[in-house]
Amino acid sequence: MIAFRRELPLVLCLAPVLIIILAPFIWLIVSSLKSPAEIGVADPFAFPEKLMWRNYVDAWNIGGFGDLVVNSLINLCGVVALTLVVCAPAGFALAKIRFPFKEWIFYLFLLGLTIPIQAIIIPLYQVLQALGLVNSLPGIILAQVSNGIPFGIFLMRSFFQGVPDELVEAAKIDGASYYQILTRIFMPISKPAILALVVISALSTWNDFFLPLIVLISPDVQTLPLGLVRFAGTYTSEYRLVFSGTVISFLPIVILYLFTQRRFTEGLTQGALKG
Amino acid sequence: MTSEAAAGKNRSGMGARGLTHATPAAGAAPPVGEHGQSQVWLFLAPAFAVYAVFTLLPIVWTVVLSFTDSGGFNTTARFTGLENYEAVATDPIAWRALWQTILWLVYHLVLAGGLGLFLALAIARLRRTQVMFRTLFFLPHLVSLGVVGVIWANIYDPYFGLLNSVLDNLHLGFLKQGWLSDSLLVLFSVNVASSWQGFGLYMLLFLAGLQNIDTTLYDAADVDGASSFQKLRYVTLPGLREVTTFVVSLALINGLKGFATVFVMTNGGPFYRSELITTYIYRLAFQAQQHGRAAVLCILLSLFAITITIVFNRWRRRIDQ
Repeated sequence: MIAFRRELPLVLCLAPVLIIILAPFIWLIVSSLKSPAEIGVADPFAFPEKLMWRNYVDAWNIGGFGDLVVNSLINLCGVVALTLVVCAPAGFALAKIRFPFKEWIFYLFLLGLTIPIQAIIIPLYQVLQALGLVNSLPGIILAQVSNGIPFGIFLMRSFFQGVPDELVEAAKIDGASYYQILTRIFMPISKPAILALVVISALSTWNDFFLPLIVLISPDVQTLPLGLVRFAGTYTSEYRLVFSGTVISFLPIVILYLFTQRRFTEGLTQGALKG
Repeated sequence: MTSEAAAGKNRSGMGARGLTHATPAAGAAPPVGEHGQSQVWLFLAPAFAVYAVFTLLPIVWTVVLSFTDSGGFNTTARFTGLENYEAVATDPIAWRALWQTILWLVYHLVLAGGLGLFLALAIARLRRTQVMFRTLFFLPHLVSLGVVGVIWANIYDPYFGLLNSVLDNLHLGFLKQGWLSDSLLVLFSVNVASSWQGFGLYMLLFLAGLQNIDTTLYDAADVDGASSFQKLRYVTLPGLREVTTFVVSLALINGLKGFATVFVMTNGGPFYRSELITTYIYRLAFQAQQHGRAAVLCILLSLFAITITIVFNRWRRRIDQ
């Protein structure tokens, strides 16, 4: 309690900053429950007289948010799982096995770490088109996984490098193959690295707008952010629908974050600093 | 084992070529693990196959495209030498996009990086409430940038938007602006939206940096009778140097990738006053169907990013010494 009283002045100073930073959220949630007439008054400090939950029902149905959420989840899970499955063994090989051209292959992977996705989008689109993957979730998943591979490999490699070589040698004497060493020894002790990779690839997939915009053309395959932008563009003057649709787009991830924030923060910080 | 290898080879042409090319060399290498050498390529093949097809090939092909008149998908492209480079060099919108991208990077660095540092310093000393503040300040970073664009387009709405109606309510109506229609203000306004989404990550990184500072340094400073400003100046900020170089480079790269908020809020307008290299690439490649010219800008964007990375790696190495 004494500790709390001592930090009270600072807390009071920070409260207005917090309110300003969270104001967009508060304003959107409050406005999303207003009637069109109340929105027309444009008084941000007024609360709705009657909570218009109907706005949410209408936005959900008209905007097809059910499909969008499902697409976003498939997209997210696909990218995270595939990234982990391809990056862990590659990171292991680059960290713990000696083989020719190792440095070159590593630098080749690093090249992608610096080049922005927008800089390769024209041929990337053509490749996807040639493979029949435009306008499909597998297409967007593969493109995003490829975009995340440099970071994923870099992260897993630097974590695996920290594991003593003796562990590998001992396991090899016991007759373990590299595959067994990876799955039985390295993966179980790599929880921090795996957590970091999961959080970072999940967040970057969730936040991605550019690749879905290019690759996912028809509404039935689109992800949540893209669908919302299309929805807000169609119903520009229907503020109640735009507001409630926007809340639908950010509320699930915010709630999920609030429940997992400790591990989430840990994974994100460790991963970013390693990378 | 053999069927797995075959599956790995079949996954893609590029991967297969990499495999067959490298296998003889692997056999000749100094044996570390006897049966392990063949497994190495299996470990690398899935990642390399995907990466080769969807990243490496497009990197190379972008360079090729920049020397052709490719456009649309039906025409047969011809090599046109440096024509695209000339066209871009004499394109006033390209120069405007380049200049505005630099301005955009500076805004993002100052707004998002600055706010991140400020908030990290402010909440680092809190014990009971730090986690609460950290969690709440981070919330904007969870919102996808496309959604951020929709949110802030509404905040800036001249009539129903949050900003102008708050100003009206506080009797500050004279400060009202057409935030997205004013050609001098628009880039800054959109950048505020982007930076609102971006600062949370930088705050977390600065916080982690602050936790790594040796606390005995503060005790020593206390013994010497240092003021809190002196402690900030001589202990905290030097202790943050490494994380600062990292955050600056991250903020510059993130800024360079800025696209979604501009695309959603202004689409580069009014009169290209919020056009960035990325949005101009999109316009040229996917609306005007001028792939060659767009490819030149793509190369420019990549060179920008590579330069930033190299400069900051050097800087970090110098700090490490």
